[in-house]
Amino acid sequence: MSSTTAQSLSRATTATFEELALLFPETELSPEQAAAPLDVGVSVEFRGPLTGRLVVRASQTILPAIAANMLGEEESKQLPLQRDALGEIGNVICGHVLPLIAGADKIFNLAAPVIHESGVLPQRDRDRPAAVVQVGVEDGRAEAVLYIFAGAAAGTASAA
Amino acid sequence: MAFNVLVVDDSAVMRQMVVRTLRMSGVPLGSVFEAGNGEEGLFVLQEQWVDLLLLDINMPVMNGEEMLRRLRANPETEQLAVIVVSTEGSETRLAVLQELGASIVRKPFAPETLRDTILRVTGVTDVEYYGAVPVASDDSDF
Repeated sequence: MSSTTAQSLSRATTATFEELALLFPETELSPEQAAAPLDVGVSVEFRGPLTGRLVVRASQTILPAIAANMLGEEESKQLPLQRDALGEIGNVICGHVLPLIAGADKIFNLAAPVIHESGVLPQRDRDRPAAVVQVGVEDGRAEAVLYIFAGAAAGTASAA
Repeated sequence: MAFNVLVVDDSAVMRQMVVRTLRMSGVPLGSVFEAGNGEEGLFVLQEQWVDLLLLDINMPVMNGEEMLRRLRANPETEQLAVIVVSTEGSETRLAVLQELGASIVRKPFAPETLRDTILRVTGVTDVEYYGAVPVASDDSDF
């Protein structure tokens, strides 16, 4: 399932940034993008045929652009809304990727996104992820990490 | 005719995005109400006249499917136009929602997709929406 899972996560991440945030993620990161810190994180837990968590970490510098495209120029200046916009990105990636890896007939329940300042994530996320995707966005980067805690064997795979 | 719309989503950002898309779409809007879950949404419907409901599925307290079932069980709201705007990807669940009379727009959505679905669900035709196309007169007499 590894490479398929990574491809599915890559597809869901790219589509979400393009369609929801109207930004075009780059799979080949420039040196500046690769060096940008991942200082804000959001996690979305899911339950169903698979149980786990989708984590999105991003550079703080890309949040204003995400919020501006999703909400408008004025709202994009508000930090809480920038965080919430990233939360919605995580929510949509999660909702998008699960049917791709588990099957379109499966039903999942998604919890509300939880914001993690400084990119510090829950203890459980030291587990081995099922898939990792990194994309360059504007002058920073974003990383989507899928953890599957139950329901299937999870091998690490990555896609850039 | 202006439409009173209720947007039910636990994400304030998504509610704002949907409302923004609604305003940009040019669909004639009356009042726009917002609620953070199905229970709050039902409360708004008891108090306000609503022509169109835009509904998320995964929400705390009461999810969108439960809210939709309760709407359909109530004679006052059983005919309400409902568009589910959700990340939901399960065909099984989507089929259930469609059987309950909801149209589906999946997140992420293009603004045009939401607009076109609203026009279809509300029955607003392009002529009503854009107005009659003016025909240039050449002032000729027949």
